[in-house]
Amino acid sequence: MVPDKNIRRNGWLALVAAALFVLTALSAEPARAITCKVTPDNIGIDLMYHGATLTVTGESAAGDDLIVKVSSTKYSDVHLKYKGKASGIFWMKLGNMEYKNVPNVYMLYSTAPLNNMLDAGERAVNQIGFDAIQANSEMERSDGAEVGAEWFDEFLKFKQKEKLYSITESTISRKPGANGNTFSLEVAWPFQAPPENYTVQVLAVRDGKVVDQASAPITVAQAGMVKKLSGLAFNNSAVYGIMAIIIAMVAGFAVGAVFKGGGSH
Amino acid sequence: MFMYLPIALTSVNYLVVTGLGLFVGLLSGLFGVGGGFLMTPLLMMIGIPPTIAAATDANQIVAASASGTLAHWRLGNVDVKMGLYLLVGGFLGGAGGVQLIKILRATGGADFLIKITYVVMLGLVGSFMFIESLNALRKSKANAGKESAAPAKKSGGLLSKLPMQTEFVKSGVTHSALVPLALGTFVGVLAAIMGVGGGFLMVPVMIYMLRMPMHVVVGTSLFQIMFTCTEVTFLQSYSNHTVDFLLALMLLVGSVFGAQIGTILGRKLKGDQLKILLSVLVLAVTVKIVLELVMEPSLLLAYAGGH
Repeated sequence: MVPDKNIRRNGWLALVAAALFVLTALSAEPARAITCKVTPDNIGIDLMYHGATLTVTGESAAGDDLIVKVSSTKYSDVHLKYKGKASGIFWMKLGNMEYKNVPNVYMLYSTAPLNNMLDAGERAVNQIGFDAIQANSEMERSDGAEVGAEWFDEFLKFKQKEKLYSITESTISRKPGANGNTFSLEVAWPFQAPPENYTVQVLAVRDGKVVDQASAPITVAQAGMVKKLSGLAFNNSAVYGIMAIIIAMVAGFAVGAVFKGGGSH
Repeated sequence: MFMYLPIALTSVNYLVVTGLGLFVGLLSGLFGVGGGFLMTPLLMMIGIPPTIAAATDANQIVAASASGTLAHWRLGNVDVKMGLYLLVGGFLGGAGGVQLIKILRATGGADFLIKITYVVMLGLVGSFMFIESLNALRKSKANAGKESAAPAKKSGGLLSKLPMQTEFVKSGVTHSALVPLALGTFVGVLAAIMGVGGGFLMVPVMIYMLRMPMHVVVGTSLFQIMFTCTEVTFLQSYSNHTVDFLLALMLLVGSVFGAQIGTILGRKLKGDQLKILLSVLVLAVTVKIVLELVMEPSLLLAYAGGH
């Protein structure tokens, strides 16, 4: 009879434990789902355009660190010229260098230093950091020579000078809310970024892992006079060329005529 | 203050761009050069891609040279006949030069040759003009007023035996029509190889080989450049879509005024003084290019196009 008693007692204990677990789970705060909003999400490039200021806002769980990635939606190939010493004397452009499968724009912001937040594997999977972009890309030189890793550093230098690549750590401001944190970030959008589709992605990091993410699109497109002139240059290039010449000639002769006094004997 | 350029795809401070136009236009009116060898690198410094900088510069030179030509026309400094012969030669040479570049590029190593040609030509032209005009200035102090009374200059030696001898009244010289045609072709070939308008080569050719007076050289050179750059603007717009009209507009607002101021300043200077100033400018550009060639650049990657 003793074994029967023990079995019954253990069964009761298991039932009580399960009930307690369910009660605890029901009474606990639900994990805050991360949200992301970008304002403005549509950037029109008109005559007076000189970049823009974007505001990224959202909510996240209280204890999570955050990474905000602003990058080209589609990665593409970038064609550049590389410089070297011609005949061992003069520095000049020697040939073409192609960087395959890289973003045109890549700007990263975080609540803490990236290396403390994620290990290399997690950074690679989520395309976080320049190392992750490098691991995902290929380099090819027109002369067929092997391209060393130092040429990716040159690519980063080139992109950073153009203000198209950046990593800014510990820049996202957070405030505790009733059900977690609210965050906000101001992004100085560079005028050098070409018209295309971009994505803002917010990643929540907990215990070295990305646990949640949200994203929002940004569209950058030409508008107004810039769009009209660009359209004319590419679709009616003869008319565009003639217009450019006529206006230049008229302006030159008109100012020449105004300066009559200065030019005469 | 900022304006976005639809072809260059970048934003620029329009006061800076108009200032650049004013500066280069002033040199254009003063010396009769298009200023491409100065303007293109300056535009690249403010972030304009090289191919767009070169093509757009041609567009603004149309305005600056039109303005300068009109000013010099009033002063009687444009030898239309000579300008047309040089122009025909220049067009022929330009077309030939473009073909030559294609052959050179196919054989490889063309860029190195182009760069060397550019440096050597600039250096030679600058040094020769500097020494010659310095000597002339010294002599003119000793024999003031002699040159103005001189009769029309003729080509000497073999050149005078060539057929089609023609008098160029405005320039006060007599040459075979073949001489300006051939010289125009020579400059056209070099200009096409180097990817420049050729004003800095054409001016010394007119001074030293055609023996034209400096002020007529400036006016005639501008007259010729106006047509060359018109052709280049159209071809670049039509074939390569590299002319940024808004950028050209900002530049020309400055350059047309600069060209007028340059012409007025030029009247106050003697021919040899103008030559010395131009030679110093050409030599300064040569030194800059040589330094760029021998010093390691801060960035080892660049956009395609340009030198």
